[in-house]
Amino acid sequence: MPSEETKERVVRAIDFGRTVLHYGWIPFIIYVGYTRSNPQPSLIKLISPLA
Amino acid sequence: MAAASHEKSLPPGPYTEPPAQPKKSTLFSAFSPLANASSRFSSWRTALGLPNPGTVENLQKEVKTTHLTNFIFDGARADLMKGLSMDPAFQVTHSFQLASQSAPPTYSFGALFANSKGLLQGNVDHEGNVSGRFQQNWSGSNISKVQAQLGMQPGHTMIQLEHDYSGLDYTLNGKVINPSPLDGSGIYVGSYLQSVTKKLALGIETLYQRAPDQAEVSSSYLAKLTGSDGKWIATAQFQPIGVLQATYWHKLSEKVEAAADLQVIAAPMRRDAIATIGAKYDLRMSTFRAQLDSTGKVSALLEQRFAPSFAFTVAGEIDHFKNAAKVGVGVMIESTSLTPEEMGMVPPPGQPHF
Repeated sequence: MPSEETKERVVRAIDFGRTVLHYGWIPFIIYVGYTRSNPQPSLIKLISPLA
Repeated sequence: MAAASHEKSLPPGPYTEPPAQPKKSTLFSAFSPLANASSRFSSWRTALGLPNPGTVENLQKEVKTTHLTNFIFDGARADLMKGLSMDPAFQVTHSFQLASQSAPPTYSFGALFANSKGLLQGNVDHEGNVSGRFQQNWSGSNISKVQAQLGMQPGHTMIQLEHDYSGLDYTLNGKVINPSPLDGSGIYVGSYLQSVTKKLALGIETLYQRAPDQAEVSSSYLAKLTGSDGKWIATAQFQPIGVLQATYWHKLSEKVEAAADLQVIAAPMRRDAIATIGAKYDLRMSTFRAQLDSTGKVSALLEQRFAPSFAFTVAGEIDHFKNAAKVGVGVMIESTSLTPEEMGMVPPPGQPHF
């Protein structure tokens, strides 16, 4: 059985990972799509619904 | 294969075999009848020519795409889809939803990136709730999937890790939902579907639910019967606690599909049954779905494409027993920054393109 301190650390690490995923997932897809697309789109077209 | 294992089953020659590996060769000769049998078994299995039964998740796929339960909506919605690249596929979507009876107005932004190796998909709504999907195709038969939902409030988080293996005539799937590395709690699901004859596949799905202080196991049994040349599919799923779901799907012609679904719950606490029948018409520029169920609901959904990039959707549902009705209207606009040549398609002459 892990000690209380390790447990605390694991919980904090999971919480941190969750936060990174929460704020980073959409920007990550946009970054991957933007860099790998063929042809490369312009950034304004990517974000704005009207352009 | 069989010849190769015969060679292995020969007693090791003292002249050819290096003295450093005597243990290995005895091990080989000890196991060679087994290896022989297994290679004969696998060649016999290949000779049977059984098809892959598909995944357990897709057992009722045909019925689900024919029925409109997964497609219906109410209120008004608009989807602006923008394709930025075709190969690899990259698109962003802006969705607006208004005036629904059951949900507040929402705006959501979605992004999708896919190539032959995998898929990245994400969705975020105006309140900051993110949902995401990740899929990696390791080879033709191994696929790993991750699905997550991350809410703004703590406790609204879900993560599901999944792996699919498709063999020659069977499919294995393992799933873990919200695993906790500290106390091992979470939901673990394993499923196995095996083709028994060319038309019949049988399977089992086992769910193990573990909380810190208790654990629970439940299994369900699956069967899938496919008609000749895939014209019809019948499936059944039975849970020993008393839940049976049976479906039948029939492709009546190139453009018309019909499906029926029966769910029976006969648990000691609750007895209930719902039957649903529906049909789908695929016309040149539109798709029409109609459905009737035993709870008194009649519903229909029409998706009409006026131009390749503009589609209009009307949905309606009348609940005769509750005297309630729902109406939905939606538009979908696809725009692209690519020229038709870049998309890899040449428009037919005489048809205007947008």
